Parts: sequence; C-alpha cells; structure tokens
Amino acid sequence: MAALSYFIEKQGIMTTGISLVRENTASMRPPRSLWVSFPLGRPLGNPGDSAVQHRVIAAALALLNRSAGPVLEDFPEELPAAQPTDAPSCPVSFTSPTDNTSWRGKLLKELGSLEPWYDLAKRSRQGRTAVGVSDQSAQANMAKLGQLLDDQQLPLTELAWFKHAIEDLKVYYLEALTAQPGNYTVEALQQTLWQDTALGAALKSFYHQFCALKEPQLQVFARIILPREMAGEATGKSRAKEPGAD
Amino acid sequence: MAQRKPLPDMGIAPITTAGLHYRDATNFGFADATFRPISNAASTDNLVMSHSSVNYDKSGFVQDTNVVFPIDRFKELVAAGTVASLADVHYSFMGAGLEPEAYAASATQVAGLLKKDRVEAVFLTPV
Repeated sequence: MAALSYFIEKQGIMTTGISLVRENTASMRPPRSLWVSFPLGRPLGNPGDSAVQHRVIAAALALLNRSAGPVLEDFPEELPAAQPTDAPSCPVSFTSPTDNTSWRGKLLKELGSLEPWYDLAKRSRQGRTAVGVSDQSAQANMAKLGQLLDDQQLPLTELAWFKHAIEDLKVYYLEALTAQPGNYTVEALQQTLWQDTALGAALKSFYHQFCALKEPQLQVFARIILPREMAGEATGKSRAKEPGAD
Repeated sequence: MAQRKPLPDMGIAPITTAGLHYRDATNFGFADATFRPISNAASTDNLVMSHSSVNYDKSGFVQDTNVVFPIDRFKELVAAGTVASLADVHYSFMGAGLEPEAYAASATQVAGLLKKDRVEAVFLTPV
C-alpha cells in the first residue's frame, strides 16, 4: 500500500491511509499513515460500527494537515473486546471427525446443513453476498473438492479454479455462520471454520499434499490455502515468514 | 509534497488494496499489480474479494463492505460538508506478493484518472 501512496503522491495528489502492521509502515515510510491496532482484514474496525469507522476516517484525514512527511500516528482506540455471549451459538452441528463416509458425501452434507443459514444471511443483508469469485456454484465446487480428495488427486492443472473455489466456500461458510445478528469475534469464527468443519479438515489435507510435492512453486501454493497460524499447527511448527496481505 | 486545500474543498477518492471488484469483473491473479474500477454511484452489493492472501480475516467484509472500503462513511462526510466531493470512480488493487516498483505504472495511471476526476486526496485502506 505504501507503494501506491508513493507513486500517487508523486503525481501531485495527496495521500493518507490506514496501517495495520506498524513495523511495515515504519519501514516503507509512506507520506501519511494512521496505525490501528485492529485485526488484519478489519482496517476500519468491526462490521456495523459506523461510529468507530468515522473516528478512524477523521483521524486519518486529519493527517492531510501535515505537509511534511512521512507521518505515522497511532489511533488511540482499541476495539471493544467482544464477550463469548455477544454472539449467537453456532447454528449447525458439524460432522463428527470420526465420520468415515466419503469426503464428497461429508462435504456436501455439511454444505447442505449451512445452506438455510447462508440463504438467511443473504436475505438479512438485502441480497448481498460476497460469494462469487468462482464461476461455479458452491455445490459444484464442493463436490469437485470432495471427489479430488476421495480420488487422492490434486488439481495441478486447475490451480486458479481451486483457489477461487476454496475462497468462495470459506466466504459461504462465514456468511452462514454470521447469519444471526451478534458481535462475532474473529477468533471464534476462525476456530469454528478451521477446527470444527469438514471443509477446514479438507483444506488441511490439501495443504499437506501440496507441501509434500517436489516443485517449489507448488509448495508455495500451499501457503495460500491455509492461514499461517493454521499452517503452523498443521505442520507442528511455526513459519517465520509467510506472504501476507497489504 | 502536494499543496493542500481545506478539507471541505477537497475531492476525495478511497482506494483499497483488498482485491475488491464486481462479481463479473476479472479476478485478481496470485500476484497482480493491475486495478479494478468501482463506481461511486453503483451499489457495493456486487463487490467480491479475490485477494490471494489467506492471512487476514474476511468475516468483517462479508458482514459490512465499509470494514475494508468505507464508501458509505465517505458519502456521509460529503452530505455533512466535511469533504467536498467523491470521485465518480474509485479504484481497487490487490496488495500482496509483489515488490513496490511493480505498482509504478498502474498507480501512475490511476493518479492521472483521479486528477481528471477532480480528486485532490486519496484515502488508502489495506486489508
């Protein structure tokens, strides 16, 4: 993001912005940045909290008063800690890890159990859904992923399809899991997605299979299947450096 | 550095590096310095996210676009007179996997488009 600031400012347009990783911003030295202590993925804070969103924007816009940079200031607020009781209970009982039916069957059954909650979430958000980076349906993608695992194959000639399919399915799950009004914590949602669901188990299986390949490029691809903390757990060791978002 | 106008006289454009685009637009590649336009007038309900990284939370975005692209908040600021106007077209990049120099051409191109769109300041949000 600092690169965009640099090149845009060079053309005579002022820039300000938000930083989520303070040390990266301090190192890259963009003209003006406001560091927030929020989780990666939430630069404006919690969903639906327009008051905090406005305060973050006001603080970052105020940096435009500074003509000499680089300026890196800290937003003084932290996000209010959500209590476990703030979010509704998970509406779905996920498949037991000891279930020995096929991956395809297990995954499609799980997707089916989430479908009413996905539909409810879409209705309550006036038809909005963030599913749709894949050109195939969630059901078709899930069936194909399950079949690949059952056949012990990897989609080596369809990496783009695979990446878009798993991103769509994760978003489908997150929308279903947040269908009921409530204050959901990032940690609780990640815990459910990666520890409790057959989809989480399936993606860990794909991760291990990609890691076991000889080609370095395909081993790197494994890193965009699982978040780094889950990859550390899946391999039993933490990774010092992984590609991240900006 | 560029010269500053008072904020109520400024045209602003939010730019995100969250890899947002309309559902029917081309997805971002694994490492991709191109950009996608986002209309100020159109609904954000058809925005999806094809960012290549998995090392961030997506659950905020699925519940509220403003968590990564605060367009509704900026429209409220225009209505309140806090800022003068918003660009007709905003822009989205995908910030991951490339060296800073890779963005030189596309960022310079976007700056030219923003100037024609009467923009004096850009508000950047990461993910």
